[in-house]
Amino acid sequence: MSECTSLVVSDINTLTNDAKTISFALPKNHHQNFSYLPGQFLTLEFELDGNSIRRSYSLCDTPLNTTQLSIGVKKIENGLVSNHIHNHLKPGDTVKVLPPAGRFYAHIAPGQYKSYYLFAAGSGITPLLAIARTVLQVEADSYVYLLFGNRDQGSIMFAEQLSALQNDYRVRFNLILTLSRPKSQWSDLWTSSSESPFQKGRIDAATITDFINQYPPKAQNAEYYICGPGSMMSHTREALRNLDVPESRMFLENFGHSHGEENTHKTITGVAAQLSASLNGETTRLQVNADETLLRAMLREGLNPPYSCEGGVCGSCRCQVTKGKVKMKSNSVLTKDEINHGHTLACQSVAVSDNVTIKY
Amino acid sequence: MNHSNGTQPPTETGPMMHALPASAYTSQQWFDKEMQHVFSKTWQFAGFFEDVAEPGDSITVQAGLNNIFIIKGRDHRLRAFHNICRHRGTQLIRAVGKGQKSLTCPYHDWTYDLEGQLISVPKQEQEFPELKGKELHKCGLNLHQASVDIFKGMLFVHPDLNAPSIMEFFGEVQPYLGPHKPEDLIEFSEQEDQPFYTKEIEANWKIIVENYIDHYHLAQLHAGTLNMYDHTNAQFGWVGPHYWFYEPLITEYLENLEKLSSAPLIDTVPKEKIGAYVPWLFPNLGLAEGENGWDTFHLTPLSPTRTRVVIRSKVMNVSEREHTKQYNRSNKESFWLEHGTFPKYQTDDNSDSTDPMHSANFMAEDVYVCEQQQKSLSSPYFSVGAQAERGEYAIRKFQQVVKDWIEKETQAEITQVLKEPS
Repeated sequence: MSECTSLVVSDINTLTNDAKTISFALPKNHHQNFSYLPGQFLTLEFELDGNSIRRSYSLCDTPLNTTQLSIGVKKIENGLVSNHIHNHLKPGDTVKVLPPAGRFYAHIAPGQYKSYYLFAAGSGITPLLAIARTVLQVEADSYVYLLFGNRDQGSIMFAEQLSALQNDYRVRFNLILTLSRPKSQWSDLWTSSSESPFQKGRIDAATITDFINQYPPKAQNAEYYICGPGSMMSHTREALRNLDVPESRMFLENFGHSHGEENTHKTITGVAAQLSASLNGETTRLQVNADETLLRAMLREGLNPPYSCEGGVCGSCRCQVTKGKVKMKSNSVLTKDEINHGHTLACQSVAVSDNVTIKY
Repeated sequence: MNHSNGTQPPTETGPMMHALPASAYTSQQWFDKEMQHVFSKTWQFAGFFEDVAEPGDSITVQAGLNNIFIIKGRDHRLRAFHNICRHRGTQLIRAVGKGQKSLTCPYHDWTYDLEGQLISVPKQEQEFPELKGKELHKCGLNLHQASVDIFKGMLFVHPDLNAPSIMEFFGEVQPYLGPHKPEDLIEFSEQEDQPFYTKEIEANWKIIVENYIDHYHLAQLHAGTLNMYDHTNAQFGWVGPHYWFYEPLITEYLENLEKLSSAPLIDTVPKEKIGAYVPWLFPNLGLAEGENGWDTFHLTPLSPTRTRVVIRSKVMNVSEREHTKQYNRSNKESFWLEHGTFPKYQTDDNSDSTDPMHSANFMAEDVYVCEQQQKSLSSPYFSVGAQAERGEYAIRKFQQVVKDWIEKETQAEITQVLKEPS
């Protein structure tokens, strides 16, 4: 699971001032290993400042393209990895990459007839673009309705690609752009507001209601995919719930958390503890430092526990606490029920009792 | 065919129609088989999309053996449930509440949410030990879900939640249908809240289908009606289980259409595509998509020898004044003296005014021949004497489709039974 493969950067494209797509050439012998579902992410590993650090980025292309993998990377202020990628990575470089993973994806298959409602804010567009592209190519009759929020005209990732999709699928792809702080443009002087290619405001309950009233589902089997910062996701979910959309048809990708560089609960503190870890039938005892995650402690000790995103999103490092207590900094995977039954994510867990026993 | 696995169809004795035995048109056994395997395992017409237009609107429809409840949520998505309260099976589900709708059975007030999940049971704690302290939606008592979707402005339901998509069922035939957009048209009827035409016909449903798709009879039975259509240049065929049919207008009518049409022309039909599109969508829905009207022709089998026909009709969404104007204008044209509607038989004395053959009405003509054909099916002297190669090709094919469909579904059911652990 946590085996890395070295892939060569085949292409880098600038999307906005602070966003790029990075493409990796995918040799034939890795096709199977690197097959993915639209919505999933890729985890990259870099050696920076003497540490090996992993970060996950959503794949933006459709899996139908088997010759290369493309991810969207937005530069985050003080983000170690995203700045490294933006400032230093160039075509021809080799990067250690983990196979695609993630529980946020759409099941897309020929013959299906569905309405896909996509709600994206900022870089949250990345996995939703992959879903939109795949649906439109694979499901000949399905519809895609995308509500995409950004700060201003300059921060719209994949603007060109989205307008290409609009041209290719005039009937089946419907896009509403909404900008919270649009820059007034010279051309606004002679375009009336009804011709404006975007609407003003954030994605909120009113925007969402208008959007759905404007685009009622053509196909009655509708699904709702949401990706953006935490607050946008909870507002969207709440607004959809108020429109009778059942939870079972909503799918959420928490971007703030998954990408590891913002919004984690840094206030949660742990204590130094003795950890007993059962992995592949072997039990190892080791020391965990205060505020060190169980995962980091095991890696430091030379163990090889499963993990991937280190953002509390992918669920790869899920294990069971059988003794003692831990707390998670961030968690987008486990339900309350599961946590009550002792499940935890090693990458997010710090010890809060002196002795902790976990098993995989 | 090798039926070594015990799936041999019952031996058919007696006269044959084209591909089906005559008993398929008279026996209760066949009727039950069709109800089970054809009408309860296909997408069934449930009305027009505007019948459930607004969030909170709901209707119930009978689809084969199933009564299905359709409701629209505030997300504008339609939901369909089997109209069977999970308490005692009462067919009473209705929507209550403003804004936030619930589904309830008024018999004992068991209530479900818009996803069909059971949310309240009166005296849950006192009366139902097995439900005590439990979350009701986890008790296996949620409404059975069905499928609902929209095709060409029409609602369809399928009793199975996991049915193949409606586009999988109708997608292939779509290119052969007319370029009409029924959702832009308005319904036309002489009486408010009544369909354009409804009648119970004393004939098996297949007799009526066969009449609908019978090209041979157009120039004969309807010699005095429908003659602005060019029957000799008709094109037709099958895609999957569906039949398609197109015939152009006769030149004289087409060239003066603006004057001659009895109703405003449907503006989404480009000139080069004008004609009569008259497909039969398997198993029980005909469409008549013409130059100035768009109709659905829906059959509900009531018994082996009785069928309800409901025709709903749509016309251009223009004012009544426009319609009257066009009608009056058309009426004045001498074209109709020659191509208008005439009775099949014209006698000097017109002795029997109730004879459909004197009606000059093509529906009356068709109903009459269907009922008369049905009557002879039980006669020991009945047989189909000869089959028109082109004109009756569709009839033979339709019977084969029905036969194959029943065999396929019967086989699937047997396979399913064998798979389930005993």
